[in-house]
Amino acid sequence: MILIMDNHGQYVHRIWRTLRYLGIEAKIIPNTTPLEEIKAMKPKGIIFSGGPDLERTGNCKAILENYEDFNVPILGICLGHQLIAKHFGGKVGRGEKAEYSLVEIEILEENEIFKGLPKRLKVWESHMDEVKELPKEFELLAKSEFCLVEAMKHRELPIYGVQFHPEVAHTERGSDIYRNFAQLCGEL
Amino acid sequence: MSKVTLMWEKFIEEKVNEIRETVGDGKAIIALSGGVDSSTAAILAHKAIGDKLYAVFVNTGFLRKGEPEFVVKTFRDEFGLNLIYVDAQEKFFEALKGVTDPEEKRKIIGKTFIDVFEEVARKINADFLIQGTIAPDWIESQGKIKSHHNVGGLPERLNLKLIEPLRELYKDEVREVAKELGLPEKIYNRMPFPGPGLAVRVIGEVTPEKIAIVREANAIVEEEIEKAGLKPWQAFAVLLGVKTVGVQGDIRAYKETVAVRVVESLDGMTANAMDVPFEVLQRIAFRITSEIPQVGRVLYDITNKPPATIEFE
Repeated sequence: MILIMDNHGQYVHRIWRTLRYLGIEAKIIPNTTPLEEIKAMKPKGIIFSGGPDLERTGNCKAILENYEDFNVPILGICLGHQLIAKHFGGKVGRGEKAEYSLVEIEILEENEIFKGLPKRLKVWESHMDEVKELPKEFELLAKSEFCLVEAMKHRELPIYGVQFHPEVAHTERGSDIYRNFAQLCGEL
Repeated sequence: MSKVTLMWEKFIEEKVNEIRETVGDGKAIIALSGGVDSSTAAILAHKAIGDKLYAVFVNTGFLRKGEPEFVVKTFRDEFGLNLIYVDAQEKFFEALKGVTDPEEKRKIIGKTFIDVFEEVARKINADFLIQGTIAPDWIESQGKIKSHHNVGGLPERLNLKLIEPLRELYKDEVREVAKELGLPEKIYNRMPFPGPGLAVRVIGEVTPEKIAIVREANAIVEEEIEKAGLKPWQAFAVLLGVKTVGVQGDIRAYKETVAVRVVESLDGMTANAMDVPFEVLQRIAFRITSEIPQVGRVLYDITNKPPATIEFE
């Protein structure tokens, strides 16, 4: 089962639907759920959803602080991606230009998460803030014209972040990204 | 039979049983708008409990051209539902006098709707309220993007238990269920239409005159898009409440401006402005300005969602 930490974003339920259509069991939980309860659910992977405010991301940070207790792949979407960057010492701030709707990203490093996808991908975005500086322990996987860090991965751990929204219907091959993530989690 | 069809067949069976067991010997009511969601919920419930379901159709005055007649004909005559038709047009226009703020408008319409519905519900003395709420409704309300039209507060006051069989679905999935239930194509392929109706397609204060303009314009847009064989998620007209200058028959004109919006989407959560052929847009502009004398200019909205929403208010 893959857990979705609800950071109050518009597309949280879309993540659930995308996983369900792939035949993967998924559960949306309040981001304030105590760590003990999360542990008891024995997730195979955790997704940090998008949302409006870094101050309202509940226990997402605590999961990263206690990563060894979970030791499962993590995928941060939009705000979740920024949260991961910030936690590992990267910089997050207002982007020079906001990105809404259609953006073309360039995949620099395929890795497992973008396996089988074309080098250029049309994705949907909805953000003003962005990762301005990649954390030291992370490698850059994708960028776009206006946003340097569209996707990143921890060098050792299976912790991923994407700035765009693979869960919305308008993102090209979005469900393949979730399929790849589920595979990393051993759920497929 | 495909896997997907089987999935919806199973969904229908589950929901029908659930509604039947929950309602038992009681009575249930539903506010039927004629849109895909409430129609699907109503037919699902009708399948489960038959005449123990009372469908209430409220004419708010903000419905599309020909819509009240179509709903009554389809659900009362063809599906044999217990349909109660309420004409509340005056009440709605009265409540919206002088109101310009979009959220305020949505709230007043919601409240007026509840008042009207409550009066009918008391007479029926039902135990359950069935609602066609779908996922994006509660997602957008929770996110405070827009107040969605639903009967908030009513279940508590009337001691009604709420049943929302479509809560986890998106519009494209509801369409599959509707098709599987045997609803006519005109309904399962019907374009989404907001609960507050044409009232949110008039920017600013709502009057019967402005609604009449936008109703005609809207019908023209829908007709021309259909005639061109295009299948967008939504196609509609908005009365901007901005007057602009024109020249008509060598005479200066100073008339209303109408925006046309045509978007493609799977589920309404993200949408793109449709690449409608220019001659179709020109034909729409020609018809709107010649058939509606109050309108002098027509604009096409090219913004996606995000950053804009599909509707203007």
